[in-house]
Amino acid sequence: MKSLLLIATFIFTFSLNAQTPYEKGMNEAFALWEQQKNTEAIQLFERIAAAETDNWLPSYYAGLIEIISSFGLKDEALLTSKLTRAKGFLDNASVISQDNPEIMISYALLNTAYIAFDGAKYGMTLSGENVAIYQKAQDIAPNNPRVLLGKTEWDMGTAKFFGKSIAPYCEDVERAIILFNKEEQTIPYYPYSGLERANEISSNCKKETSPN
Amino acid sequence: MKTLLFLLLTFCSYNLFAQSTISGKVIDQQGIPIMGANVYLNGTYDGTATNDEGLFSFETTTAGTQTLIASSISFEPYSKSADITSFKGITIKLKDDVNTLDAVTVNAGTFNAGDNAKVTALKPLDIVTTAGALGDFVGALQTLPGTSNVAEDGRLFVRGGDAEETQIFVDDMRVFTPYSPSANNIPSRGRLSPFLFKGITFSTGGYSAEYGQALSSVLLLNSISEPQEEKTEISIMTVGLGLGNTQKWKKSSLSLNTSYINLAPYQNLYPDNNEWHKPIESIGGEAVYRYKFNNDGLLKVYGAYSSVNFDLTQEDINEVDGIRFGLKNRNLYINTSYQDFLEKDWSIATGVSFANDRSEIKYNNSDITDVENSAHLKIAFKKFFSSRYKLNFGAEYFITNFTEDYQDVIFENDFEFDNNIFSSFVETDIFFSKKFATKIGIRGEYSELLQELNISPRLSLAYKAGSNSQFSLAYGEFFQNPKNDYLKYNSDFTAENTTHYIANYQYVKNKQIFRAEAYYKNYGDLVKYDTPFALPTSSYNNSGSGFAKGLDIFWRDNKSIKNTEYWMSYSYLDTERDYQNYPTSATPDFASKHNASLVLKRWIEDWKSQVGLSYNYASGRSYTDPNKGGFLTEQAKSFNSLNANYAYLISPQKILYLSVSNVLGTKNVNGYQYASQANIDGMFDRRTITPATDRFFFIGFFWTISDNKDDNQLDNL
Repeated sequence: MKSLLLIATFIFTFSLNAQTPYEKGMNEAFALWEQQKNTEAIQLFERIAAAETDNWLPSYYAGLIEIISSFGLKDEALLTSKLTRAKGFLDNASVISQDNPEIMISYALLNTAYIAFDGAKYGMTLSGENVAIYQKAQDIAPNNPRVLLGKTEWDMGTAKFFGKSIAPYCEDVERAIILFNKEEQTIPYYPYSGLERANEISSNCKKETSPN
Repeated sequence: MKTLLFLLLTFCSYNLFAQSTISGKVIDQQGIPIMGANVYLNGTYDGTATNDEGLFSFETTTAGTQTLIASSISFEPYSKSADITSFKGITIKLKDDVNTLDAVTVNAGTFNAGDNAKVTALKPLDIVTTAGALGDFVGALQTLPGTSNVAEDGRLFVRGGDAEETQIFVDDMRVFTPYSPSANNIPSRGRLSPFLFKGITFSTGGYSAEYGQALSSVLLLNSISEPQEEKTEISIMTVGLGLGNTQKWKKSSLSLNTSYINLAPYQNLYPDNNEWHKPIESIGGEAVYRYKFNNDGLLKVYGAYSSVNFDLTQEDINEVDGIRFGLKNRNLYINTSYQDFLEKDWSIATGVSFANDRSEIKYNNSDITDVENSAHLKIAFKKFFSSRYKLNFGAEYFITNFTEDYQDVIFENDFEFDNNIFSSFVETDIFFSKKFATKIGIRGEYSELLQELNISPRLSLAYKAGSNSQFSLAYGEFFQNPKNDYLKYNSDFTAENTTHYIANYQYVKNKQIFRAEAYYKNYGDLVKYDTPFALPTSSYNNSGSGFAKGLDIFWRDNKSIKNTEYWMSYSYLDTERDYQNYPTSATPDFASKHNASLVLKRWIEDWKSQVGLSYNYASGRSYTDPNKGGFLTEQAKSFNSLNANYAYLISPQKILYLSVSNVLGTKNVNGYQYASQANIDGMFDRRTITPATDRFFFIGFFWTISDNKDDNQLDNL
């Protein structure tokens, strides 16, 4: 009985300790994000970032959610407030982890949010910046599937704008899918996602480039 | 074993014992609760968001001194370090973030263009794709209210002021000769190519104490800090050729542009009403070098060289054979600026600009050689005490040396003067709240030539009345030394001056801008002389005066019509002045009472084309009819021009561009010239001064070669 109690207590303490505050916080934040509670998720990531000063992931996610949730906004004041905050988070993350391709392509996504809001106002300066970002990210991480997919999506958008065929870029999407499948997922909470999006684009590719 | 269990339990309960509660309320400056603010102890996982009453409460196991942080979007973050026991029932008041887009801006008198401004009247592309502007940034600015259309001049005339009353600055350094010289009745063009700049601020009055020696207006151009990529650009145009190249290195970049313009082929095909002996030929080159230091310091060196050459005979009512006018001009301009951020929120901006301009003019039988050497040295410091309070101060020195050598059959003379001015300024920006802000400044200028000190105070206020509308007021005194045309003959002057009073209302909502601005300007100490032209023998004084008052309206809509943007401007101007050799106070011949323009742009997806139209209207300007007596009492015909342009993207990197000014071929009148002698009937004959050509065609092919296959020269057009 005594030993049982002892084991139970041990297990209890162990299970408490098994999840570090970092893991607990990150899991909770991802759960909030999944429930579309973006503000709460960003706030929790912000708090984790304040505690984990040498980990780029919490700041990165706080910035990323801020960017993603600003697409489709109609109010320019709110848009710039959110994106300025997002840039602050990404800046934090890139101070901790320099030349990180994941952070770099998030900056490109941030620019895209501005361009999507008003192409005539932001397109001219920011689209060139994006091309430069993707180029640099690709030089650093030629086999990163997210970099390849991001660049390809950007190129496709431009091709569509100029009425060009997107077929040559579809090959890059297939290549990205292969890279996604090959990717070894070793770092916890690392943003490995993107395969679903790649499959989605791939199926669009097949629709658009099929003979009928 | 029991001991172990006991210890564990004790430890557990100790933990429970050590837990304390942090609680309180987050409110804004008006005491209204802020919902969803993030409140946490820095460096811990302990925190929460406020509820809809602004209340928060969370547990923490930490003890001792901790930092409590509260942050919320569009508020400045709050932080307080204290023993956690004091964070119970705490009230946190967050300050509005005054740097957000919806905060008030001190903007009376000012238009911003470019993407860095909160409210942009013109977008970057507009500068170069406005129909009729022909790639000249001045042309696009002339579609904004407050400017007067003076078709035969081409320069900026702002609110009843003449072109010399507007000063142009690149990276806050003065551009001494911003326009290419041209013959009488032929519009001059800006020398600076528009694509070197990323932001343009055009102030039509009431501007900052940082700028002086401009009675009416300042135009501030910011050059690009970092080009995006290496590329080569080739332009083939009906009027000449252009070649550009950009190179990038790790910390520095170099852009070169050269152009060759020759109007001879064009003028052979479409002769105008001048007799050209040598059609306009110009060669120009520009280079920008940028270097980024490790510590955020940025050095920019901009150099431009241009040479213009032409010779023509123009009709004149008093000269049977017309007037022969030939010009050889060469111009060198160098602008070096350095910016850096220092410790403790200080920043420094310093620079030197230098211009050497030499013109050899042939005017009938006289030969005139003008040489102007000018320099501008400046140092300015900024201190950010907080986002609500900024201080900006600095000093600058302007040096101008002008020499003229005049020679004709009977007369030979040399004129020279040095016009050096020392100035310093101090200015502060204060945000009382997100709704109310002010800018207060004072500027002192000492002219060595005139031996006088002038002090000009400047003040602007802005108040945000609603979420989309704001009111602004501005007041300022402005001084400017008399122009070179007078200083070369006489230096016993005092500076000319104006006082501006401006009231502005602005409404911005969802890609729509409405702006109305009323102003009153009072001119004093204007130069007067007593001969038909300014001559070495004239007697000069500063007894002139004048006024200008009016209303400027601007409306821009990028929303209502899909794929189409348009803007409309209207300016009402009532001005009179008694200056130069005016016998009485009158409306000068460059001012028109009503000016209006409409600019429309439409992107046609299926054609990969942008179509642009612009329409300019200016009511008739004044002239003197000696047959009727009076001075500047008659009114000429109004000015009308409909311009069109079309840009076709052949491929992402090849563009075909067509532009036609005055499509309808409206016969405009620039003024009249009367004979100096009456004819046998006792009447003075007159000649109508019409534009050199009614229409102007421009066709260009632009090709960009770069690694990025999507880049093109659309922004250069």
